[in-house]
Amino acid sequence: MLDSTSSQTFADDLAAISGPEHLRVDENTFSIAPVSTEEIAAVLRYANRNGITIATYGGGTKQNWGNPIHPSLMLHTHRLGSVREHTWQDMTCTVQAGCLWSSMQQSLAKHGQFVALDPLWPDRATIGGIAATNDSGSLRLRYGSLRDLIIGMTIVLADGTIARSGGKVVKNVAGYDLHKLMTGAFGTLGIITEITFRLHSIPRHVQSFTIASFDVESLGQLLMKILDSHLSTQSLQLRSGSSGFALDVRLATLPAVIRDQASSLSKLAQSVQLEASDSDSDVWDARQEHFDRTEYFVMKATMLPSDISPIAATIRTLGGTSVTQAAGIMTASIPAAAPGQLEHLREKLEAIGGSLTVLHHPADAIPVASTTPSDTIPLMRELKNRFDPNRVLNPGRFLGGI
Amino acid sequence: MLSRPEQAAKLEPKVLSEAVLADFRAVVGENGIIVERNQLQTYECDGLTALRTVPAAVVLPRSTDEVQAIIRICAQHRIPFVARGAGTGLSGGALPAANGILISFARMNRILAVDIPNQRITVEPGVINSHVTQRVAPSGHFYAPDPSSQSVCTIGGNVAENAGGAHCLKYGFTTTHVLALDVVLPSGEFVHLGSPTVDSPGYDLTGVFVGSEGTLGVVTAITLRIVKRAETVQVLLAAYNSIAAAGQTVSDIIAASILPAAMEIMDRLSIEAAEASVHPNYPACAALLLIELDGPVGEVDVHMQQVREICRANGAWEDRLAQSEHERLLVWKGRKAAFAAAGRLAPNYIVQDGVIPRTKLPIILEEIERMATATGLRVTNVFHAGDGNLHPIVLYNASIPGQEELATDLSIRILHLCVDHGGSITGEHGVGKEKQQAMGYMYSEPDLNTMQLVRCAFDPHQLANPDKLFPRPRLCGEKSGPYTPHPLEVAGIAEYF
Repeated sequence: MLDSTSSQTFADDLAAISGPEHLRVDENTFSIAPVSTEEIAAVLRYANRNGITIATYGGGTKQNWGNPIHPSLMLHTHRLGSVREHTWQDMTCTVQAGCLWSSMQQSLAKHGQFVALDPLWPDRATIGGIAATNDSGSLRLRYGSLRDLIIGMTIVLADGTIARSGGKVVKNVAGYDLHKLMTGAFGTLGIITEITFRLHSIPRHVQSFTIASFDVESLGQLLMKILDSHLSTQSLQLRSGSSGFALDVRLATLPAVIRDQASSLSKLAQSVQLEASDSDSDVWDARQEHFDRTEYFVMKATMLPSDISPIAATIRTLGGTSVTQAAGIMTASIPAAAPGQLEHLREKLEAIGGSLTVLHHPADAIPVASTTPSDTIPLMRELKNRFDPNRVLNPGRFLGGI
Repeated sequence: MLSRPEQAAKLEPKVLSEAVLADFRAVVGENGIIVERNQLQTYECDGLTALRTVPAAVVLPRSTDEVQAIIRICAQHRIPFVARGAGTGLSGGALPAANGILISFARMNRILAVDIPNQRITVEPGVINSHVTQRVAPSGHFYAPDPSSQSVCTIGGNVAENAGGAHCLKYGFTTTHVLALDVVLPSGEFVHLGSPTVDSPGYDLTGVFVGSEGTLGVVTAITLRIVKRAETVQVLLAAYNSIAAAGQTVSDIIAASILPAAMEIMDRLSIEAAEASVHPNYPACAALLLIELDGPVGEVDVHMQQVREICRANGAWEDRLAQSEHERLLVWKGRKAAFAAAGRLAPNYIVQDGVIPRTKLPIILEEIERMATATGLRVTNVFHAGDGNLHPIVLYNASIPGQEELATDLSIRILHLCVDHGGSITGEHGVGKEKQQAMGYMYSEPDLNTMQLVRCAFDPHQLANPDKLFPRPRLCGEKSGPYTPHPLEVAGIAEYF
């Protein structure tokens, strides 16, 4: 905790970096909104020297993910809000970390391009926060994760060092892929200030189909058949609803080919005694909806594709609902009454090579531990120790209390 | 810089003590260790034959346990180690350390597990790249990263270099397809990085390990993603009077929202060499564009029609569609033979590996032409046009005094040129020994110091493939900050470039 004398000194010194109008002081915590990578570096250099703990704040959509922490300084990134460069002919762009995801996509759409990811809260979340949490959605199947879409990054380390990783070209094996390490690191190794993405053309023709059934096992079989097929599947998810389950398939290719593939899909569905029909327009919002359920445990689970339907069935028996992307990433929400059963679910997932990460606990609920890989924790601690020896950046936020 | 004989004298291998050799023998057996000078010379270089160092010993483990035991011995006695797969690398990644051992993974070549429905396969590091595809071919799958050396190179080496190949544009690189790694750290500790399921919790240690060129530890098992083959594939050859026109075609295809599986360009010299070497029946022209499309039949038919129109609109005077699987494979055979075929054009050659933004292709080629002419050497070009990855092949004659130095210098200056235009010094061959100084041209001191933090976390005693990748030795206790000269530099004995 900061005493009032040092508080005043810190306030004055921090105000000198970003200007007093960009610093706010509430009791013993500060909020600062720097305008550039260099200002962020100055803030971190100062904080590191004076033992001031920092948390990063983009759109504030995922502040409760990871372990709760109580930093002295909240570093706001919204003033780093621009698309710096869109070299559309090379299909790359460079964007500042405080830019809203939807703003970036709007800008890229002018040349019919996009960053091929559909994250949560696209109108409020920032590039930096999405990267720091490694969020991904239904586009994962066709386009990969952020680690496949990010080709370069500018980061600021705890001691104020500004470092660049990767570059502006997609194919680049010079040096370590530090940007991969930073993606999903929750700001514990460095603060991301700029990201260079590889881009894709926005698909011109897509069509979605839904196969609904109470028989989750048949839907699971159908999911595996679709993965093994030649359908131009952009997205594939197994969703549980208020009654039964549904498999949603989104095809992206030329219109005539979509028509052909629609009938192939029907045949595949018939092979497990099911029927495909046109999807409702909101099926691809299913993942976002889970995060509105504040009275529930909301979690992310990972598993092999062949385990998706059995685990979805398990979630149902716990009174919960889920939506799982075919790559093996489930978003699920389970009522507050079942915390002991969550431990059991976590063990079950770990036994089949998967994991459970609790993203939201209902108020007054006993916390449930998330999956922590045992044999790499020492290595992760060592990395943390090298990058942030004074434990200034989001300390304790990461798994293992790193 | 030391001259070659002086270098050779300095790099005589340190002899390992009998006690240490006995320890290694106890692990790998008498047949698993090589100490005899003649036999050691087989391992003195990889595909970069200009640089050679005889290791103190070579060990050939058969299992993860043996690898762990070997590395524990190295850790205990501070013996540096370098891992080697097939030794096909082009940047000196498997060049031994003079006072260290070479760990060959030739005897760890088993496929450990196959899960076709979940599209995963687990292999030992010595498994040959194309053997992975062969194993999963019956069910219509393949392993996507396809470097030209794929019939010989190993997965362990692919992981170290983050190997690419012609199909990166659509299918990604090795790192895109690695899910999990069993790793022995330089301390001898064994860890599991990643998992067979995606998004394993924690830092992306797999992501930072792939492409780390053996400087963070050694892999003993790799879980890879396999991909379903597309319904159909078509290959087109288009002949042009200029590389610029071929390059513009590539840009126009991308702008039309078509993503080919591969797009390759070869210049006149390469075409002639490939033709003489494997007779793919290429049209004789200034620039050849090879385009492969794959996907559903309906989609490929329509896109190929569009692609042919785009080729003609850019002045292609011939566009030829391969009519059979045999023809298709022959077209690729010619392209994949391009490096070796360069051997017909001159007694010696250096293959380089720069990347530039696609749109800069015409400027870069003009500049390379100018630089080559000024040096009096010829440069032929083959490239993965879709992702801007250039392979300029510098031709020379080593028996002419000074030519090798001229050729090496030119090849590095070409890499600097790539960096100047927003590119990279390496797209797939890695930095290794060959380009470690060029790393200092591409990245700043803070960038390199930050990478060094990772290296020190994994390998504080610098035993894993030391003297590679970074431009100068850095201690793990070093802080970033203003540059302080190395004592050798102050004494005037050595210089940094």
